[in-house]
Amino acid sequence: MWTYEKRLQYPVKIKTPNAALAKLIATQYGGPNGELGASLRYLSQRYTMPYPELKAILTDIGTEELAHLEMVSAIVYQLTRNLTPEQIKAAGYDAYFVDHTTGIYPVDASGTPFNAQGFAVAGDTLADLHEDLAAEQKARTTYDNILRYADDPDVRDAIKFLRQREVVHYQRFGEGLRIATDKMDEKNFYAFNPQFDRKTRK
Amino acid sequence: MTEQSRLLKKISAYKFSAWELHIFLDTHPDNCEAAKKLERTRKMVAELTAQYEAKYGPIAETNEQTSRWAWITGPWPWENGTEEDDD
Repeated sequence: MWTYEKRLQYPVKIKTPNAALAKLIATQYGGPNGELGASLRYLSQRYTMPYPELKAILTDIGTEELAHLEMVSAIVYQLTRNLTPEQIKAAGYDAYFVDHTTGIYPVDASGTPFNAQGFAVAGDTLADLHEDLAAEQKARTTYDNILRYADDPDVRDAIKFLRQREVVHYQRFGEGLRIATDKMDEKNFYAFNPQFDRKTRK
Repeated sequence: MTEQSRLLKKISAYKFSAWELHIFLDTHPDNCEAAKKLERTRKMVAELTAQYEAKYGPIAETNEQTSRWAWITGPWPWENGTEEDDD
């Protein structure tokens, strides 16, 4: 189970609304490399992970991604406060607005709703860990791309924090992959024996 | 920055440090130095949280609190003070 803390992992205090920027950042809420997919990916993969370190790291990083989901939502929410319909139209936010007003709904940067096909659960240690390593790099790339378009220091500060967390998670998953490969027997040197067929422990 | 947000920032910094050590220990469970550092950091978090909650109300719903109003009262974490239901 989980408990809620009434705070953000890192503060988000945006003074100037900017719906055009909100539209881009929203992809880290509901897009293919976003925090919703990240948390679902890790929290779904953990059940079939074989080692205690891997179950722990997937649970904890999956949990931290929920805190990032909240930060991204807070950024989008604060960027779309107190705007006129004209300002929303000028920012290209009107297509989103007509369906959701300024509610927070998981879509990617082009408006396509969240799709679970953006992440994978293979039920295989190596396949899943490689997916996780790639996911952290893709999320880091997306934050880098957002930083190319974000001038507001209030926004950049929070985005840089989120970007840095992808780098740290990549390190932890790399260690997880090393733990998994160290524990494989010599018959699995090329790392292709399916986990499903391994002998159950006595 | 208000006194409340300054204290919350300090708590968040220590909590962040504790979290970093916690996930590091997931993949390095035998690292005694990190475990000791985590213990020290958690003590700081506990002290600061007690200070904060005595003045400004609960951070987590698991903490001992008698006032229901303190929990439901804003600002909520995502708010920036422009909300209409603000007092």
